Formats: sequence, C-alpha cells, structure tokens
Amino acid sequence: MTDTIPGPLLLLALLGLMAGGLYLLRRVEALAAPAAAGLALLLAIGLWRLPLAAPVRLAGRGVWLGQPVAWEDLSLQIAPVTQALLVFLLGVAAVTFILAWRTYQGYTFYPFGLGLAALWAVAAMLQPLTLAPLALALAAILAVFLIQAGKAGETRGAWRQLLFPTLGAPLFLTAAWYIDQAPLNPDDPTPYRVAGWLLIAGFVLLLQPAPVHVAIPAVAKQAPPVVAAFLWIGGQSTTLFLLQRFLVTYPWLASAVDSARWLLWLGVFTALLGGVLAAVQDRLGRYAGYAGLYDYGVVLVAMGLRGTAGLPTAIWLVLTRTLALLTLATGVALIRHHLESDRLDRIAGAASRLPWATIALVMGGFALAGMPLSAQFASRWALLQLLAENDPRWTIFLLIGALGVTIGAVRAGRACFGKLSGAPVEREPRGAALLAMGLVIVSVLLGLFPQLLTEPVAAVILPLATLGP
Amino acid sequence: MSLLDFFRQLSHLGGLPAALLAGAAAATIVIVRDWRLALFAYAVQTTMLAMLLAQALPVEWALLQAIAGGLVAVMLYLSARQLHVSGQAGLSWEARWPQMASTSGFRLLAVMLAGVAFLSVHESVALPRVSPLFRDAILWLMLLGLLGLALHDEPFHAGLSLLTVLGGFSLLWFSLVQRRMLIGLADAGQVLLGLAISYLVVSQGLAGQQAKQPGEISE
Repeated sequence: MTDTIPGPLLLLALLGLMAGGLYLLRRVEALAAPAAAGLALLLAIGLWRLPLAAPVRLAGRGVWLGQPVAWEDLSLQIAPVTQALLVFLLGVAAVTFILAWRTYQGYTFYPFGLGLAALWAVAAMLQPLTLAPLALALAAILAVFLIQAGKAGETRGAWRQLLFPTLGAPLFLTAAWYIDQAPLNPDDPTPYRVAGWLLIAGFVLLLQPAPVHVAIPAVAKQAPPVVAAFLWIGGQSTTLFLLQRFLVTYPWLASAVDSARWLLWLGVFTALLGGVLAAVQDRLGRYAGYAGLYDYGVVLVAMGLRGTAGLPTAIWLVLTRTLALLTLATGVALIRHHLESDRLDRIAGAASRLPWATIALVMGGFALAGMPLSAQFASRWALLQLLAENDPRWTIFLLIGALGVTIGAVRAGRACFGKLSGAPVEREPRGAALLAMGLVIVSVLLGLFPQLLTEPVAAVILPLATLGP
Repeated sequence: MSLLDFFRQLSHLGGLPAALLAGAAAATIVIVRDWRLALFAYAVQTTMLAMLLAQALPVEWALLQAIAGGLVAVMLYLSARQLHVSGQAGLSWEARWPQMASTSGFRLLAVMLAGVAFLSVHESVALPRVSPLFRDAILWLMLLGLLGLALHDEPFHAGLSLLTVLGGFSLLWFSLVQRRMLIGLADAGQVLLGLAISYLVVSQGLAGQQAKQPGEISE
C-alpha cells in the first residue's frame, strides 16, 4: 500500500516532534512531564494493540506498523520482537517521566528522554544490523546532556558513558566489512574469525561489564537518580536485545569466539565486583550504581546461559530489575533532594521525614539483591538453580554479590534513622509518597505472585529466540 | 577558484607530507596543555586527514570530512575561548601569566615510548586494502588517540584524543567502504560528538569560575 504511513516513520516523527516541542516548553514542567509521559504511553499502547501485518486507519489515515521504511542501504522495520522491546521502552519512559516530575530530576529530561527513546528504537529497528550500534553511540552522545543536566561541575560520568559506545561503534563497522567479504571466499574462515573478535570487542564496549564498568558508578554519582535508572534500563536492554539479534543472525558468532563463556565470565565478575563494592559505599547514588551493576552482571549471566533456559530467565530479570531500579532510584532521588546530600553520614532523620522514600530505598536495594518478598526473588532463584546445574561455584559468587548489595541496603536504611542533624527538612510530598508506595507494593505483589509475569515473558521468548536479520 | 578546486589542488600535496603532519598534530594534542595549540593541531590534523582521504574517496566527499572537522574545531574554539575570556576578567596581571604544566615532559616521554612501540610493530600489522602509508597513519593516530584518552581526564584534551582515534578509524573505514550515505552519517555523528564535547568543556570550565557563586549554565 502506498498511501499508508509506515509504523517506524510515524513513531520516530511523533517522538522527534514532541521532543522538539517540549524542549521549547521545558521550563513548564507541569506541562512537559505529563505530555511526554502521555505520548510515550499512547505509543506503547498503540504498538501493543495494533497489528503489524495489516494496515489500520487512525484519524482518517492508513497506518501500517509492519511496513518498512528504506533509505538507500538502510531500512527500519518493526518486527514482532522489536514491537515487544518498543512497548517495554516506551512504557518505562512513561513511568519514568512521571517519577522524574515528582522527584525533581531536572526539566531537560523530558525532551532528551524522548530523543533517547527514539534513538534506542532506531537501534532496535535498523537494518543492516551492523549499523545499529551507531544509533547506540548517538544515544550515548545525547545522554551527555541528560547526565550533565545543566550543572556546571564534574563531567566524569557524562564523559565516561559517552566514551565506550563511541569507541565500540567503529569495531562493528569494520566487522561489517569482514562479514561482507566472507562469502567471496567460503573456504577461508579468517573473515569470520576476525569479524567475531571485532564484534565481541565491540559488545564489551557497548555492554560495559566489569572491568569497563567505570561509567556506571560515575553516572550514578553525577546524574539525577531516576534519569540514571532510565539510562541503564533503556540502554542496557537495547544493547542486550542487539546482542541477541547478532547471536541469532550470525550463528557462527557463538562458535567462533565462544561468546556464551565470555558472557558467563564477564557476568559473574561484574556481579561479584558490583556486589562487593555496593557494601562499602558512603553515598546513596554510588550504592545505587554498584547495586545496579551487580544486577546487570546477573542479567549477563542469564544471557550467557541462553542455550538452556537462560533466555526466558534473562527476559524475566530485565522486567523485574526495571521495577527494582526505579524503586531504588525514587528513594535515592527524594532523599537526595530533601536532605541536599546523599552521603550516609548526612541523611540521619530521613526515615522520620521521608518514610516512603526510605522504604523505597531499602526495598529497592533488597529487590536488586534478589531477597524474598521482592519482585526479583523468583527470577533470581530460577537463575541460581539453572547456574548451579552448570557450575555451583558461579552460584556462590552471585550469592556473595547479593550479600554485598544487602549489606549496602541495610547500611543505607540504618543511616536514615536517628535525629536530623541539619536544617529542618520538609516532609515528602503526597504525590511522591504515593508513587514510592505504589512501586513498593507492586514489587511485593510480584514477589508474592511471580506468575503474573509469565504471560509477558512467554509472549517475547519465541520471537526473540528465532528473530532473523 | 571555488573551495572544491582549491581543495582538489591542495590534495595533490597529500601522501607522506600529509601523513607526517597529521601524525605530528596528533602528538601535539597529547603533549601540549595550551588549548590554542591543541586546537590548532586538531585543525591541522583534520585538514591533513581530508587530504589523505581524497586519495581514497572523491574529493567532494573528502572535503565534507574537512568541513565537519572544521565545524567541530569552531565549536571547541568558541567554548574554550568563552571560558578563557570570562575566566580572566578581573584577574591581576600576575594571575593571568601563562602557566606551564609540569606533566608535559611526562606526556612527551609517553609519546616517545609510543613511537618506539609503533616502530617495532607497524610492519607486522596487516590491515585490509590499505597502502603502507595509510596503515602507518591509521596505527599512529589510533595509538596516540588512545594514549591521549589514558593521559587526559578533562573533556577538552580527552575529546580531541577521541576525535583523533575516530579520525584514524575513518581512514581505514573509508578506504574499505565508499558509500555516500555512510560518509554523511559519520560526519554528522562527528559534529554531534563535537557539540557534546564542547558542552562538557563549558560545564567543567564554569565549575572553577562558579566556585564563589554556584549556579547552572544555560541549557
């Protein structure tokens, strides 16, 4: 059909136009936040409900979600599995915009957040696949403005998160040339081997596991907490999605460089390091960063087990970690804003003035550790069982990391008690308290009834396991 | 004479002199502390890279690379200049006296060691479809760019080092792939990267000036 609007074009145009408009209105936060959240939610619902395979009429115009958009060698298309990722990203964006509004995250978040969602969407939809990391590098460049958030001062977090994806993108482009050369001489395995190593090195720079994790704690310290959580959830989920696309599209990649073993080792090391360092931080922001790093390592481990039941577990973990990260970030953001510091020795009295923020902080930490009665418990338990079947030593390392995150959460919670040491602190606003309460309740509910997530996970597994180029 | 004609004539001077100048400019970026010298070196490096690229690409496309690099240089100049001028307003004559960095000697030594490493390995590195001159230029730019990233932690010099790494990569990639759209995308990405680096330069520079009265910069 020639008179229909392709889905990718409509999605990117709406996100881009709204981002541009909201940049002009960014200081009117009461308008910008609901508008950004409303558009993201509308697009998420539209992508979820509308069919990909056939055009539909919207406001008198034909729209075909599954129709590709081509420009010379590039094309953008929403495949079934891309649809799931886009619904997830836009849903997270909608929730995060509302959270950011109530937790004082800076008014530039709304336009730049929509811009980031658009670039992540491009990375998910783009063909040829080897060019998709370019969109992630552009997203990292855009995120500089979000992390810095107009503040003069330290730039380490913004710089570090920009550096690695920018250095990683050229490796994918070079790998693309080798992949194109391989069919010209089918008997020579060299192009595949070189391309495999370039892709693995590129993914290490994009995924940023330990020891190249340095951007995560720096961003956690510098950026507004909810913004940092949004960057981790969106960026890491899109990168993991791309990794899965590469592994399915280029089956030789898994064998050429034993990518599963690499992911397992990197994941275990990342989780162990993140957990141990989470136990010894003196700032809530850095604690959130290292707790998030631990959790990210656990997801990488699940991706490394993709040959067995690792993939469903990884999807499950990605969903539950989103809730845990947002809960923790909400608690940190409220405490940091009201007490004007997130140092553990300066937040005494937070529990009496900001009770729901303190509960969100502790419950978010427990959830990232995978404690019972949290959303992460069931998925983490499933992973530990799966991992123990392969090698029990890895399970022990993950448990040591979880212990570190738990100790960090207990230390953070304990620091919130006692008498206020400084100026009087305003009580937490009712809206913010309701949001924190809602996140905590949903987390506990998912901890008690993990089967609530069975259907969304099952809906994603099949297309993700079989997705093509 | 149009800009294109001028660049076409200039590109005949490419080859070894252009590679040597680009390499020397990369070393200058890593070693010197003064922002004017570093920025001048970046401008020279971008021009020389464009002249080298003119041997692998149509001259018009190579010129595009020079224009993108020029835009980045202008953005960085405006950022650094704004900080320099507003930072020196009201300072005494003694306070405005140029300061020498004591670590320049160390960085010079590091570049010399990198040179030794380069000389010992460059012939054993096999890059596809590039001449030995291009191979050496690519290796040297990438090596010094990474060295600069390791040695500098402030956005101005670290940003120029990152652009140096990407400049070395562009020599390799544009020798392998000659697609107009990809060249345009890469150049647009370079300009965006320059904008982000300039923003970080201003953000960090203003911090020192605002020590007395903290505040926000205009977004």
